[in-house]
Amino acid sequence: MEIDVRNLHPLEIRLLRHVSSGEPVTAQRLIEELNYKIGQCNQAFSWLTAKGYLEETDRTYRTLFELTELGKQQLEQGTPAQRIFNLLKAEGPHTLPDLAEKLGLEKSDTGSAFGILSKTKACRMGEGNRAEAVADEAPFEVKIATEVLSKAAKSPLEESQLTDDERAFVSKNSKKRGAAGAPLKLIEREEVFYRLTEAGSEAKAALLAAHITGEELGALTNAMLSTGSWKEGTFRPYSLNTAPARLIPGRRNPYGAYLQWVKDKLCALGFEEFDGPLVENEFWNGDALFMPQFHSARDIHDVYYVKHPSHAKKIEEPYLSQVAATHENGWKTGSRGWRYGFDHDFTRRQVMRSQGTVLSAKTLPHAKVPGKYFGVARCFRYDQVDATHGADFYQTEGIVLGEDVNLKTLLGLLKMFAEEVAGAEEVRYVPGYFPFTEPSIEVHIKHPVLGWFELGGSGIFRPEVTKALGVDVPVLAWGLGIDRMALMHLGLNDLRELFTPDIESVRMRRGN
Amino acid sequence: MPKIEVHEKLFNSLLGDSYTDEQLEAVFPAAKAELDAHDREEQLYKIELNDTNRPDLWSAAGVARQLVSYRDRSIAQYDFFSTEEETLDSEGRKLIVHESAKLVRPFSIGFAATGKVVDEEILLNLIQSQEKLCNNFGRKRKSIAMGVYRSDMITYPVHFEGADPDKAHFVPLHMEEDLTLREICEKHPKGQEYGHIVADKPVFPFLYDDAGGVLSFPPVINSARIGAVEVGDEHIFFEFSGTGLDDLLLAASIVACDCADMGFTILPVTCEFPYDTEYGRSVTVPYYFQKPAACDLGFLRSMLGEPLTNEQIIDALRRMGVFAIADNSMVYITVPEYRNDFLHPVDIVEDVMIGHGLENFAPELPNDSTVGRITPMEAFSRKVKELMIGLGFQEMMYNYLGSKREYIENMRVDGNSYIQIENPMSENYEFVRPSVIPSLLESESVSAHAVYPHHIFEVGKVAFLDETDNSGTTTRDNLGFLAAGSEMGFNQLNSLISTLFYFLNREYVMQEVVDPRFIAGRCGQLVSNGTVVGVFGEVHPAVLENWGITMPTIACEVDLTLLLD
Repeated sequence: MEIDVRNLHPLEIRLLRHVSSGEPVTAQRLIEELNYKIGQCNQAFSWLTAKGYLEETDRTYRTLFELTELGKQQLEQGTPAQRIFNLLKAEGPHTLPDLAEKLGLEKSDTGSAFGILSKTKACRMGEGNRAEAVADEAPFEVKIATEVLSKAAKSPLEESQLTDDERAFVSKNSKKRGAAGAPLKLIEREEVFYRLTEAGSEAKAALLAAHITGEELGALTNAMLSTGSWKEGTFRPYSLNTAPARLIPGRRNPYGAYLQWVKDKLCALGFEEFDGPLVENEFWNGDALFMPQFHSARDIHDVYYVKHPSHAKKIEEPYLSQVAATHENGWKTGSRGWRYGFDHDFTRRQVMRSQGTVLSAKTLPHAKVPGKYFGVARCFRYDQVDATHGADFYQTEGIVLGEDVNLKTLLGLLKMFAEEVAGAEEVRYVPGYFPFTEPSIEVHIKHPVLGWFELGGSGIFRPEVTKALGVDVPVLAWGLGIDRMALMHLGLNDLRELFTPDIESVRMRRGN
Repeated sequence: MPKIEVHEKLFNSLLGDSYTDEQLEAVFPAAKAELDAHDREEQLYKIELNDTNRPDLWSAAGVARQLVSYRDRSIAQYDFFSTEEETLDSEGRKLIVHESAKLVRPFSIGFAATGKVVDEEILLNLIQSQEKLCNNFGRKRKSIAMGVYRSDMITYPVHFEGADPDKAHFVPLHMEEDLTLREICEKHPKGQEYGHIVADKPVFPFLYDDAGGVLSFPPVINSARIGAVEVGDEHIFFEFSGTGLDDLLLAASIVACDCADMGFTILPVTCEFPYDTEYGRSVTVPYYFQKPAACDLGFLRSMLGEPLTNEQIIDALRRMGVFAIADNSMVYITVPEYRNDFLHPVDIVEDVMIGHGLENFAPELPNDSTVGRITPMEAFSRKVKELMIGLGFQEMMYNYLGSKREYIENMRVDGNSYIQIENPMSENYEFVRPSVIPSLLESESVSAHAVYPHHIFEVGKVAFLDETDNSGTTTRDNLGFLAAGSEMGFNQLNSLISTLFYFLNREYVMQEVVDPRFIAGRCGQLVSNGTVVGVFGEVHPAVLENWGITMPTIACEVDLTLLLD
């Protein structure tokens, strides 16, 4: 058996080193020979038997006498008889009540103590009922009390080892249980006998070989350092296998940390972040994206409407007029438009932002060319909440403006995202459809863990979107399905878990 | 996005071949289609169509037509279309729209089909086309409603008028009672579903034949006689009513092409209007109304980033089923009869892209060098988060919608400045979060099992009413933090705030406030540079009780938007 002596406590070490195989090991022995306290003996026995280094061979019962609180007090101050004798000797005769008062004794104790003194002819009752000392020294019966008490103070007295005189004193001055009025109390102690097992002998040998004595230093203290006492000892090695206590650190939410990683990644790829308010109007949420006002995704069953104020005060010009004309007849965008009457009330209707592309559109009027922008936007959808749909969720979207951007640069951009953000092994492009882009591309990737899935959608903004917002260069627009990767990263499979209020769950959560 | 079910047998016959699922998945992108499932037991393909602007693809015949063009480089030819120049003979089949229709639903058109016995697959396919065209493209029958009838029972001409809803009557499909139009709206399930489209009009749409036989009450329900097409029927009349003639003509063209592809002979019907339309007062349907479209070749090539030759471009379009010719500067296309999605030259560019094959465009990285950066608020938020974490707090993230109970009742506030959702899906998501504190308290209410003390925070958005903004609302980035535990109290809160503001390098003073969310005399506002930027305090036991929290809790919220300015 491999023995790791580091798992042994100093109490175990000292015991093992001290005893030899074949010898009986008892608490009494450890108390006498190693100066252990009874509690320490019990700890050492319990640990070592659990480890199989000691085994019990026998148990017996012994009668012991232990000092009570009163006994301790008498040992310190003297027994009442001793004190009375000393006082009478020094100050001459006193009445018993005087003695009791001067010495702070109970009357009954004073009486019984004087009884012993007079019985041994050391004192007598003189005239005027005053006690006086007659002997030169305190009698044997008084002296022996002090001897017994001081012996008992060191360790409980074993009945079998008392002299007859001692036994006589002890039997008169102890009570069995809760002996408040007596200086000694009787206790019955069970004594257990152990012996070293074979494994115990091996452990002992290992300790000796490793020169571990059990006297090594424990915790390094400030005092050891300031006095330099650490130099005189060696440090006890600690076990590496102790179960650690739990710590609860201050921590990032792993989903937040993941989103931050995505943001940093996009910054590293040259994108500038945009952001915006949660409350939008139909103009930016749909009209500016050339989604016709009758589009099915703009239904009351798809978007959350704001109750009050139901409408924005105004829509920025010239964008309102340009977008309205684009819807109606294409304006100057080269389009024939959707050919319906643009509703100027509806366009001011306020909604909870339903798509991150809103922020892309809002960025266009003041975007730099060339420019790259992105945002991680909280969006809201009128959807039954389940494992794959949240009432609100993040969308990661962005745009690239440039004189020379085109389909091939769009594909290149998607490839870069697939590799840099998603760690894709393979990339596949398929034609897609979005109301605001043409052409539109979906990018599917082969992920090392998830296999093939749709990473995101993209396209080149329709001129109906860009020109109406004052931009004359092509604009690539893209959105990435970050949450799917976030779930994988966090080892989750339910979107609702991303925003869980459960503290324990968030505390324990970690990213891959 | 529309999803359709397609019978294997019908689909294979339309394709003229059978394909494995893998082969289908490989060719489906040409129709922006995805194979959702293949139910072998029912012999059904479940297909999702991604292009909401291509209703021609929402049927077995439509998908098959696109795939065949792509495979065979062939353009589907149809000979039953009348045009501006040429009107085909409708052999006396007429649909007359009466003046009264203008008051409720101005247009109705139709055509007939024959020469093929309707089997179960065809019938299901027709019902599905009707549903997809009317629901997805026709805005739930508002702009397009389609009816299918037994043409052999019809005495032409068919009449479409606005009828008195309390006088016109017939026995509707799936019922035995003779009901007036208004009664149908009340009693028939379809009436309850679609009656609202016409409910406020003085007259209701009514379609009947010259012998007085009723076809239907569009857009609600067919009659139980002429309007009950069954397996075994061979002569069908299709009628489309709605608000815009182009949409109706397109829908009719799509259904006519589908029927022709399935083996029917299409019989034109002349539709007469009592008012001028873009195509005259008399239109023979199916009618080709689309205008030619064109795209500048330089624009096309620069959009695609590829110097395609004219031949490559024409070939790519042919694979999309689009006939094209090109000269030095332009490509001109003939829009297919069943499509009307060429709004802008970019729509031609996309067809060229798909027809040429996306795999033939090599990805290139954009050359432009730009500087990446996060917003100033994001940078500030990160600093705040770092400090909170250093102070031992766990970052939380929450939903931004909640209930009246959570945001208002539990918090003992009136909620007057909170943003309410007009159409909440459930009362659980009826208000926009005005503060981070209710979110943090929600955590407490569900986390009594988590070892205390709790130290949690969030930096996130909140929104509330603000008259000064154009939207009447404002969105802020707020820090909220909360600590709960048996020893938690004002002193800890005081220390936390002081430490936070010291390291954010912002001065502040605390100012007494009465706030029912907190214990009076143990809460306050944080004032920085003369502006109230936050609130803090020991959470009131009544609030804790409302949330079911039994641990002393302190909370603080700081408006980072104000603090950053």
